[in-house]
Amino acid sequence: MRTHVVCAALILAFTSGCYAFRPSNGGGQTKIPASRAVDPNDVALPAGYRIEPVAQGLTFPTGAAFDEAGKIYVVESGYAYGEVFTTPRLVRIESNGSVTPIATGKNNGPWTGLAFHDGNFFVAEGGVNEGGRILRISKTGDVRALVDGLPSFGDHHTDGPAISPDGWIYFGQGTASNSGVVGEDNAKFGWLKRHPDFHDIPGQDITLVGQTFSSRKSKNKTGAFAAFGTPGQTTVPGAVKCSGGILRVRPDGSDLQLVAWGFRNPFGLAFSPDGQLYVTDNGYDERGSRPIWGAPDLLWRVQTGLWYGWPDYSGNEPVNNGRFTAPFSRRPQFILAHHPNDPPAPVTKFPVHSSADGIDFSRNDRFGHVGDAFVALFGDEAKAVGKILNPSGFRVVRVNVSNGLIDDFAVNKKDNGPASKLKKAGLERPVAVRFNPAGDALYVVDFGILAHTDKAHPQQGTGVLWKITHE
Amino acid sequence: MENHSRIKRILPLAIFLLVGCHTARRGEPITGPLHLSPPGERGRLVFQQRCYQCHPNGEAGLGPALNNKPAPKRLMKTQVRLGLGAMPRFDHLAIPQNDLDDLMAYIMELRKADKKPKL
Repeated sequence: MRTHVVCAALILAFTSGCYAFRPSNGGGQTKIPASRAVDPNDVALPAGYRIEPVAQGLTFPTGAAFDEAGKIYVVESGYAYGEVFTTPRLVRIESNGSVTPIATGKNNGPWTGLAFHDGNFFVAEGGVNEGGRILRISKTGDVRALVDGLPSFGDHHTDGPAISPDGWIYFGQGTASNSGVVGEDNAKFGWLKRHPDFHDIPGQDITLVGQTFSSRKSKNKTGAFAAFGTPGQTTVPGAVKCSGGILRVRPDGSDLQLVAWGFRNPFGLAFSPDGQLYVTDNGYDERGSRPIWGAPDLLWRVQTGLWYGWPDYSGNEPVNNGRFTAPFSRRPQFILAHHPNDPPAPVTKFPVHSSADGIDFSRNDRFGHVGDAFVALFGDEAKAVGKILNPSGFRVVRVNVSNGLIDDFAVNKKDNGPASKLKKAGLERPVAVRFNPAGDALYVVDFGILAHTDKAHPQQGTGVLWKITHE
Repeated sequence: MENHSRIKRILPLAIFLLVGCHTARRGEPITGPLHLSPPGERGRLVFQQRCYQCHPNGEAGLGPALNNKPAPKRLMKTQVRLGLGAMPRFDHLAIPQNDLDDLMAYIMELRKADKKPKL
């Protein structure tokens, strides 16, 4: 009898340490602080590197770029999860940390990224109200749309852009839904009320297996690549302006082309020193009508014409292989009846829910690690994306793209998680990285505080621009 | 009496295995660069491909931390092969035996990395 008690105690001890029985402890699951303190001494870097804040008090900054004179500019997105709308802006950061506004946008954020090329800025306008756009902004603040009508009303938006060595503007377009099916989770995001008929659009004609999915709030089931509450079609036509694609356009707005598709949220784009396009891709969440558990964020080496697996693969692993089934849940099944190709293997896998976002490559020995990619991990948004045992992300990492090995580069000293949760003053949510033209300094755009209780709570005026140099 | 002493021996071990000891944090900014043996270097590649996404640097993320748990190699190998709870299993196709041995080498070396943070 006592042996049984001992065994039961052991089983209890082990299971209570296990995932299913422990509560979620995400980085945003914290009390919302009144303000943000900033102290570079709370950030840890490898020996020989130092970090300093360059600008503070930014509101939802998401990208940075340098002009031909080496001055740095930042975009403030104008929208944050939690349905908070502000004004999208392009600002110049002055040497004393003050900001000079250059251009403002319409109520169509988020502005998710920034690039500079041949005298003009290029901005990815996320488009939650009017659809996604690629904007060209002159140095005097004239704003023109090069591309519009991108399917950007949903969970994920128009992203990038990045300039290729031959002068094309590459950008990403995220998906409407988590895994191909519009559901109640999308109502929580807020967009389903604004655009009740919106759904994912494939990059080529596809045939579905025809499965439909239930939800509590609709009598009708919802099919994949279909509007909420409708069964959809078995055959779905593709489009260039698709969900989950990488596209490119000439700087004058002509010749829009689909480069590849099958991504989920291709947020960060960058060309390596040898001219290869790399993309960070946020992995599936455990939510909605077709939850996918345990899916990492990915780094891809992009090849033209390929399909990269969404909504049926995570990397090159099929979602029905058992590894992506949440505890006590059904195994997800394929949505597509036929797959365009076997997805390639990703370059590497980032931690689940870490939100791998902005990316840039080191090009100068003065900074070090030439050829390695530096990636901003924005950090988890648990529990909205699913449960997590410990904060994931909230750092800048370095990736050896030849073997996929990831090393931490800038992390908070005290523990894992954002500074607000740690009650410290270091990194909050790195979202973008950009080397200066000389290549000897890495600038990190820090979005600021985004807490998650019952919903997202972004805090205006808490964004920071950091600068990392090698001593 | 015998069961009493058995309980006294096993329960603390269970709690110890569950709670662990030392900080789980690793990574160059915290503990300095990690110097690995050749099997450890090979094992790190396996870890990156198969384990890092849930146990980044051996720390907790989606899954629990590994660095601060004194679980012996045999137990860890069994858990890799069979899975446990939410953790999927990895058979010989997913992680061949030689790779599993290298993976254990890496995890043990990671665990023994400088336990005094350099901060």
